[in-house]
Order: sequence, then C-alpha cells, then structure tokens
Amino acid sequence: MFKSLREKLSSVKESISRTIHDKDKEKVTSLEDEIETISKKEDLSKEEKAQKLGFIKKAKTFLLEGESILNEKDLEEPLWNLELALMEGNVALLVVEAIVSSVKSNLIGRKKKLLAHTDEIVEDVLYESIKNVIKNDGLSFDEIIEKSDKPVVILFVGVNGTGKTTTIAKVAKRLKDKGYSVVLASGDTYRTGALEQLEIHGERLGLKVIKHQYGSDPSAVIYDAIEHAKARGIDVVLADTAGRMHTNSNLMRELQKIKRINSPDLTIFVDEAIAGNDALERAKLFDEAIGLDGTILTKLDTDAKGGTAISISYITGKPIFFFGTGQSYDDLIIFQEDWLLNKIFGNDSEEEN
Amino acid sequence: MILGNLGNSLKETFNKLARLNKIDKKIAEEIIKDVQRALLQADVNVKLVMKLSENIKKRALKEEVLEGFDAKEHISKIIYEEFSNILGKVTEIELKRQNIMMVGLQGSGKTTSTAKLAKYFQRKGLKTCVICADTFRPGAYDQLSQLCKVHSIPFYGEKGNENAVDVVKNGLNEMKEYEVKIVDTAGRHALEDDLIQEMKEINAVLKPDHKFLVLDAAIGQEAEVQSRKFSEAIGITGVIITKLDGTAKGGGALSAVSETGSSIAFIGVGERIDDLEKFDPDSFISKLVGLGDLKSLMERVQESVKPDEMAVEEVLKGKFTLKEMYKQFEAINKMGPFNQLLQMIPFGGFGIDLKDKDYEKTKYKLDRYKIIMDSMTEYELENPACFDSSRIRRVAIGSGSDIAEVRDLLNYYKTLKKAFGMFKGGNIRGLPGKFMKMFGREIKI
Ligand SMILES: Nc1nc2c(ncn2[C@@H]2O[C@H](COP(=O)(O)OP(=O)(O)O)[C@@H](O)[C@H]2O)c(=O)[nH]1
Ligand SMILES: Nc1nc2c(ncn2[C@@H]2O[C@H](COP(=O)(O)OP(=O)(O)O)[C@@H](O)[C@H]2O)c(=O)[nH]1
Ligand SMILES: [Mg+2]
Ligand SMILES: [Mg+2]
Repeated sequence: MFKSLREKLSSVKESISRTIHDKDKEKVTSLEDEIETISKKEDLSKEEKAQKLGFIKKAKTFLLEGESILNEKDLEEPLWNLELALMEGNVALLVVEAIVSSVKSNLIGRKKKLLAHTDEIVEDVLYESIKNVIKNDGLSFDEIIEKSDKPVVILFVGVNGTGKTTTIAKVAKRLKDKGYSVVLASGDTYRTGALEQLEIHGERLGLKVIKHQYGSDPSAVIYDAIEHAKARGIDVVLADTAGRMHTNSNLMRELQKIKRINSPDLTIFVDEAIAGNDALERAKLFDEAIGLDGTILTKLDTDAKGGTAISISYITGKPIFFFGTGQSYDDLIIFQEDWLLNKIFGNDSEEEN
Repeated sequence: MILGNLGNSLKETFNKLARLNKIDKKIAEEIIKDVQRALLQADVNVKLVMKLSENIKKRALKEEVLEGFDAKEHISKIIYEEFSNILGKVTEIELKRQNIMMVGLQGSGKTTSTAKLAKYFQRKGLKTCVICADTFRPGAYDQLSQLCKVHSIPFYGEKGNENAVDVVKNGLNEMKEYEVKIVDTAGRHALEDDLIQEMKEINAVLKPDHKFLVLDAAIGQEAEVQSRKFSEAIGITGVIITKLDGTAKGGGALSAVSETGSSIAFIGVGERIDDLEKFDPDSFISKLVGLGDLKSLMERVQESVKPDEMAVEEVLKGKFTLKEMYKQFEAINKMGPFNQLLQMIPFGGFGIDLKDKDYEKTKYKLDRYKIIMDSMTEYELENPACFDSSRIRRVAIGSGSDIAEVRDLLNYYKTLKKAFGMFKGGNIRGLPGKFMKMFGREIKI
C-alpha cells in the first residue's frame, strides 16, 4: 500500500545523490584535465612540474575523500521532485512544504564525505523529517486500555462516511479477543440505518449495543452505555457518533456536549486514507473544537498512498493508533512508526496488495 | 502549527497583478507557482496540475491582454478557459424512462445520492423507484428503505438475500411499472476483484442508461486510479461529487471527468434529501481555483467586444466584403480564444472545423488569413470579386503564402457571404440565438 510512495522517494533519493556526485565529479575531472595539461607542458622543469602536480593531486585526493558543500541551487530540482513525490503520495501540500523545507535546511551547507554514502545521508535526512512528523512518544492504544480505570470510554468522531461504525466493530473485536468486555453505544441517532448497522455488528460479535431511538440525544445514549458498563463491570465502552462536517458549528457543538457530559478517556478521529488535502483541514478543526487523542485511518486497502497518515499526524501532533485495511473485522493493523517508515523506506519487496 | 488561510494563496499574488497590463516571464512564473499551489491544495491530480499550469503560463505570455482588462483578469480568464475545457460540460439528464446505476467507493455517498436523485425525478413528475443492491454493508437495506419510507419513494430490496445480481433481476421484474429505476450498489474499490465482477454483472442485467460514479469531494490523488478502474469495468456516464458542503474543493473531479470521459451531473451539498444541485461549472471552477466571480468576468469579456467592431451594421445592411471579414477576425483575436465563443460566431460550421478540439489550429488559420489580407489593396478588400489569377499570385507572393492558400481564403469568404446572404434573405428568424446575442442586439422583424 505504500509501494508507490516508496518507489518515488527512492528515485528522489537517487537524484539527490546523483547531484552531489555529479558536482564533485565535475571538479575531479577538471583537476584531472589540469594534471594532464601540466604533464604535457614542455617549458616547465621536472621539479616545477612535480611541485605543481603534487599540489593538484593533493587537491584531488582531498576532493575524493574530503568534504563538499551543497548549495540551494544544487538541490532545487531534486527537492522539487521530492515535493511532487510526496504530493502524489497524497501528503497534503502544507505538510509537504514543511517536510521539504526541513530536508532542505538539513542538506544545505552540509559537508560530507565525497563519493561515498551520499544516498545514505539523503535518506537519513528524509527519514528523520518524516519520522519527526509521525512519531508517537506517548502510550500505545493497548497500553492506554490496560492502564486506564475501567470502564474506559472511547469516543469515535469524524466526517461522514469515513468508517467510524465499521472501525468500532473492528476495535471491539480486537478488545474482545484480548479478553476485555465491551459494550457499544449507538450514538449516531441521525443517519437512517445507523442504529441497525451497529446492532448487526453487535449481534455478529456477541456484544451488547445500547441504543435509543432515531433523533434522540446522543449524549444520553452514551451516558446510558457508561452507566450500563459501570453496573456490570464492563471494561470498555465504544461510542459511535454521527458523521458531521467540521464546518457545521451546530453539530460540532453537539460533540462538545457529548464530551462534556461523558468525559471520554479517548477521543479518536476516524478518517480515510483516500482523503487528500482536506484531511488536514478537518483534523485541525475537529482538534480545535473538541480535542483529539489520536487517529484511526481507514480504507488503506484502496491502494491509497498513505500520505494522509503523515498529514494528520503533522497537524494534530497525536498518534495514529490503527490502520483500517478492509471491511472485515480483522482488517485492522496496529500502527507503529517503524512499520510505516519501513514501508516507505524499507526495501522489503513483499507488498500486501 | 499555524496554517495560512488556505484558499487565499492565489488571491494575494493576484492582487499584485491588478492594474498591470503586461505580463512578463518573471511575473508569469511567480503566478504559475501560486496557481500550482492552489490546485494541488484543491486535490487536483499532480500530473494534471503540471500540464494545466504549463498551458496557462504559455498562454498568459503569448496572448495579448484585452483592452480594458488588467493582468489579473487576463490570467483569470485563461485559467477559467483551461478549466472549462475539462469541466465545462454538464451531464444531460433526460426526463424519460430510464435505468440508473450508482457506483463508487465505500462511504462516498451513493445511498444518500440515490434517494436524492429519486426525489429529483419525482419532482419532475416521473414515476420513480429505488432498488437496493447493496447486500454487503450491514444496515444498508435499512438505511435505504428508511430513507425511502420517510420521503415516499417506492423501494425494492430483499433483506437477507446476499446475491445482489438476483436482487436486481427480481427488482426489475417487480418494479416494471416505474419509469425511472435507480439501483444503489455496495461500495467497492478498484482492487476488489470480486466486487468489481459483481458490479459488471449488475451492469449486464440492468443495462443502465446512466452509470453515475459517486465521488467524495475530499478524495485526494487516488481519484485518478479509482475513476479509471470504474470506467474500465463498466463505463461511466456521469459523475456526482458529494460532500461539497465542507471545505473540500473537489479537485478529484478533474480526474474523474478526464479518466471516465464523462462530465459532472450533480453535486451533493448536505445530508438532507434536497441537498442535491445540478452541476454548475462556473461556480465550481471559481471555488476550486479559489478565484472570485469568474462568471461575471467572462460576461464582461464577451461584452467587451463591441458590436461595431464586429462590423454588425454593415453586415446587417447586406454589405459583406473582405473588409468586414477582416474586422471580425480582429474582434475574435481581441476576445481571445474561447472555443465556445467561436461556436457562437457565424464562421461556425462554415469552413473552420469547430469540432476540431485543437483550437490552436483554428487560430493559426485565422492568423494566416489576416496576413494574406494584409497584402491586399483597399480595392481588392472592398471588391473581392475582382480576384483573378494574377491578383491571387501577387497576394500569395506578397504575404509569403501560396496560391492554394489564397484561394482557400477566397472560398472561405464566399461560403461566409453565402451564409450571410441567406440570413439577409428574410430568414433572420432562423438565426441562432447565440449569433443574435453576439451581435449585441435584438432584431425585431
Ligand atoms: N475498503 C474499506 N472499506 C471500509 C473500511 N472501513 C470502513 N469501510 C467501509 O466504508 C463505508 C462507510 O463505513 P461506516 O463505518 O459506515 O462509516 P461511518 O459513516 O463513518 O460510520 C462502509 O461501506 C464500510 O464497509 C476499510 O478499512 N476499508
Ligand atoms: N455533509 C454531507 N454528507 C453527505 C453527503 N452525501 C452523503 N453524505 C453522508 O455521507 C455518509 C455516507 O453516505 P452513504 O450514502 O451512506 O454512502 P455510501 O456508502 O456510498 O452509500 C452518510 O453519513 C451521509 O449522510 C453530502 O453531500 N454532504
Ligand atoms: Mg456510522
Ligand atoms: Mg450505501
């Protein structure tokens, strides 16, 4: 699923290395030319020649083994290619610009051993830049569940159709498999069929679903589910909500109310990997309106390039917990930065799709 | 992390351009970077952005800024035209008996759009029903049947039957009486071979008149591949862009349209049943590229060509010599190359192949004709009948063209004159409306 981004980045890497390489090679060649001219000169004594040549040869050795400095112009084209590669990988433009400028400031003026390891240097810089964006210093999802007081209440939010309800079912299955007891709260009381959809998942997974009627107050449904969990010693409450546009202030206020009344331990933003630049905008507005603790990115099986993961991490500064990779319950991969970095930079040719 | 105001990047550079009436390379390059940024941010396909922006730059430098317009308007106009070439069309929806199939990725808004569309046809007075062929997503049946119930839309579906193709077959049988049948299908993506196969089978059974690809406005670079695969599998006749009520600009629509060879039919602007609008290219493009009211700019551009520059008076009086033709060529040049505009002008269909997408060729031809006419004498321009082979040879040499080309021009003139003669001969009622508008007046007889 990250194959094409990986391929593009690796070609950019090569082109930067080549630029560095070519630049030095040019100088070396010109020194070699000079050596030849001097050797052929007849008006110079042997000693004079030896002296001049010795100096130039030293310069050549120095170039070959020494240091060189990259300037802005050298990098213009390779960095533009990097920009394009990231954009084609579906990273939002503003994040692309942030990454590219960090790569640039890291490379420009940098001295490096010549003709050796340049591609590693480029890769390191790029790797660090992307790693900085997606790193998670906090707890993993499993650790949070383990360490929090029970019941752990998790609220799922996001725009319309991103996969909130399906993801809840997947997470429920995962928790159940780990031995936790789970109750689902049918907090989407708006969209037709939403109650039935969660109900069916509950049935299939053997889980209780707390629901009210269409049009009822979602805060109250979730409240009831938490009460239910408390009364029966259930470990985790997974609360569904209706999809909503981040620009709809009434609906965003409704989410604030849900949070205020139910104080969830985790508020998870569910978005889809197919989303482009808007992922940045909506993650930002959801975060500003209600505060997010992490993201789950769905539909990675669609051949999506994965850049959305980078965009959302960048703007929220919060971890990505899982990737959704299909419509079955087990299509949920735990997100690990090394895993993603390996997908992007690694050369494991094994490809899921 | 503070984000700049997203849509505004283009406007800022543009304001620098206001009141300038010349564009040099440096400015063009600066602008083009901003145009690229705006388009990339709107999720237009990366390759398409590069291609479009290159065209825009070339044209901005080459074409003259129209009188009375500044550089900013000049570039806006070119941007508008380039986008119109791709997005300018609207899928025609005939109000007749028909089958419609809704397809698209998971969660893109197919079911919601199905109900919206059914309501649309109902409002137009057609007997419309909906068939639920999503036998996969949990609650899909309930979602659509409830929607239909609330809005009094006849519904067919089979709870529990997992074979979508059979459901469609049965539905067609049961719902024969309805004029418009809209089939909602399960979400699927290009890599799900079994689901793509299912879609093909439904297509074969339903034989839809319309196959609508439902696309989320927020879709990123993925739009290209997915649209292509849907199109390859069943052929797409129109696109519906949903969720345009948020902040997504819908740049994926460009890929959808170019990959499927179709156009946009409707846009979805909310969750409610009435939140469906017929696609309006002008306002969509304005929003997409983050430029203000392009529509009124284009209206001004068209008005800027005054009737007298088109030699209207003379032509209506029945005078049509090479001189009048020359004036009209100049007027066209001044208006800049719009394909649509060319179609409005009486040259349409009289020698210039307007179906020829390659506008450049047409423009080239007009330019050549003008050069040839520049080598003619006043007398010749006023009296085209005087041309004999020696005059033709002289003009050919003088203009650096050849005899065939000069003859070509004269033939072209004759065709036009004949066309005008025909109009003059009392057949003015038959003038196309756009032609009348072009001449800037109502002609009452
Ligand atoms: N291919 C794919 N489809 C998914 C994934 N997650 C959810 N979906 C589908 O996306 C559609 C919308 O999901 P749903 O959970 O109802 O979204 P919600 O509106 O956010 O609750 C459904 O058809 C799901 O089956 C995923 O990871 N991969
Ligand atoms: N805001 C908004 N939401 C929409 C629009 N169209 C569909 N939706 C919502 O998007 C979600 C998925 O729609 P649905 O019709 O179930 O998608 P499907 O999986 O393709 O059938 C639902 O929550 C809809 O209410 C739209 O134009 N605007
Ligand atoms: Mg839902
Ligand atoms: Mg559906």
